[in-house]
Amino acid sequence: MRFTREELKRLAFPLVLALAALGAGAALIWGAGGALRETQARLAVAQAERRAANERLARISEEEREVSEKIDVYQRLKRLNILGEEHRLEWADAITRIRAQRELLDLRYAVERQRQLFSAPGKPANVDFFASTMKVQLALLHEEDLLRFLADLRESGNAFYAVRRCDLTRTGQAATGATMTPRLRADCDIDLITIMDRAAKR
Amino acid sequence: MATRRILYFTAEDHYLYRSVGGALELEAKFTGDDLGLTAFRDFLRGQRGALFAVVADLAGEDFHEEQIPFVRGADREAVLSRRLAQRYRDTRLAAGLSLGQVAGAERRNERVLLTSFTNTQQLTPWLDALEEAGVRLSGVYSIPLLAPALASRLGVKDTRVLLVTANRAGLRQCYVENGRLRFARLERTVEMVPQALAMFVRSETQRLVQYLVTLRALPRDGSAVQVLVVAPPGERATFEQALASDARLLFRVVDYADAQQVAKLRRAPEGAAAEALFLHLAAHKPPAEQFASREDRRRYFIWQLQRGVVAAGVAGFALCALVGGSRWIEVMSLRGQVEDETHAARTATQQYERITSTFPVTQTSTENLKVTVVEFRRIAERSADPQRTFQHVSRVLEQYPQFELDSLRWGAGRPSELRDAPLKPAAQAAGGSDSLVLVEVSGRVQATQRNDYRGITAQVQRFANSLVGEGYELVRTQLPFDVTSEGILTGDIGGAAESGEAPRFTVTLARRLP
Repeated sequence: MRFTREELKRLAFPLVLALAALGAGAALIWGAGGALRETQARLAVAQAERRAANERLARISEEEREVSEKIDVYQRLKRLNILGEEHRLEWADAITRIRAQRELLDLRYAVERQRQLFSAPGKPANVDFFASTMKVQLALLHEEDLLRFLADLRESGNAFYAVRRCDLTRTGQAATGATMTPRLRADCDIDLITIMDRAAKR
Repeated sequence: MATRRILYFTAEDHYLYRSVGGALELEAKFTGDDLGLTAFRDFLRGQRGALFAVVADLAGEDFHEEQIPFVRGADREAVLSRRLAQRYRDTRLAAGLSLGQVAGAERRNERVLLTSFTNTQQLTPWLDALEEAGVRLSGVYSIPLLAPALASRLGVKDTRVLLVTANRAGLRQCYVENGRLRFARLERTVEMVPQALAMFVRSETQRLVQYLVTLRALPRDGSAVQVLVVAPPGERATFEQALASDARLLFRVVDYADAQQVAKLRRAPEGAAAEALFLHLAAHKPPAEQFASREDRRRYFIWQLQRGVVAAGVAGFALCALVGGSRWIEVMSLRGQVEDETHAARTATQQYERITSTFPVTQTSTENLKVTVVEFRRIAERSADPQRTFQHVSRVLEQYPQFELDSLRWGAGRPSELRDAPLKPAAQAAGGSDSLVLVEVSGRVQATQRNDYRGITAQVQRFANSLVGEGYELVRTQLPFDVTSEGILTGDIGGAAESGEAPRFTVTLARRLP
């Protein structure tokens, strides 16, 4: 059967109407599908959050034990100024004081630029660990001087002192008797570690 | 629902009915002459696009049974057209109705009933008027074509039935076999009392049965034929009294009001007889078989196509809405679940916060407190103090006064992190990626001749073995000479060129950190 131009004209509007209805229907399905996917994703997130919250609640007694066990260490770190910003002036003061107290013959040091060791994920903010390497050169009468220097440094606080390297060599200089001649030379790298807790109250 | 108009066409007058819902209303009446036709044309002037059907109730309707080859589609149409053209002079209003298949000895045939009006000229001007007015003609039917549908509505289950109705045009008798029209005739009647009409029905039925037997449409000695008579309103009892069944005819009388109810005709126009039942069926359940040609029905077909396309679109939308709706219902349900889960999480968090608020003041979050301490402990465990090493080496040296140290290299960390370059190969040799403390002790062996290789080797090995312990492992021992097969061993025994310098050695130790 062949349609005339007039008949085709008559069929055009119903066709457009039908196509519009089908398009609207398809849009309805598409929109509903999108909303469904989005809601399913939200549900998955909500379920995960609920599980995590419940698990955290279930572990609360263990957490209480952990907190009471760790709070002392944390407060000690804070007291020693290991937690918080660097105290470079305090470091310099401490070294000067140690040199004077221990009557060290020669002491040279250089504190390098601070670098981040790593960032541990915490909640609500991360905990960042920083290190500044201090290179120390000491002229010693006896190896015990080095150990005392390190111990004094540790006692002075303001950072956690992690010795990374220490070379101890003989100077080969003979004692004159008139002046104190260093017999040993120490060359050490010490990391001055500080912690930045971004969630800590100041 | 669109209003349909049905032109009831009789030999004398023509009645135009309007079918609205379940009601049939008489809209106009036209005489069968030219005056009537003119009035009809006038009426149609404002009806462009209206839906029309024609139901003819005429005496001159021919029925002829034939067999054609069993073919389908265009072939069947062509065969039927040829047969109709052979039988009727004017085929504009002719139709071929299928009566089923017959299996012959050689081929399968189809029984068809060829039917048309003996005088189509009385209908043609009226159909032309409809065409000119631009109305949509759904079909041209005759009362017999509608009879099988009415018989079915009236609950006929027998294979053979005679449907008898008193129409405005006269007494109509339709023979229906297996639900298909087989024969029909119209006998004109005059005004008569119900009793007389019933007797007339009886006599005409007997005549028709006899005729059908002659035609072999009915078996000569077959079982009784059911005759279904639609009695005028309230005359059922009179008809039943007059129409007693016998061995050949089994009468069943249905009151017109009951038939109206069964046919779902709520309201029939004043003065209409049983033809109203047929007209109602023509408006609401028209049969596929009818007389109008494809061209006569073209506007109606386009109208059907328009509605079909829109209906398909609406059906598609409804289906999509159903699918979309079910998804939205699922979305609503999931949103409820999300709210429940969020509420449960919030409750658990609040409970957690309430409990943790009783914990010691930490100045930070519990999580950060744990992270800070755990990570700090890890760093502290991987750090070491040289003091322990110095003490260990000093203790061993006290046992070996002939050994004098020149240097001591100490390093701590992972092999990749070690800052003392000379220690790195030893760290690799110590193995793995674990954090460790490495100590390289270099010195000289006094009071032993340089050429006493065996003596020096033994002393250095003893010294090195003494350094092992307290977590320290021996990584490497370097003697002042090479005693391996790959190296060169030299000696100057008794010569004057002995340097007097004590032989040098290096011992490297490692201790693993946690």
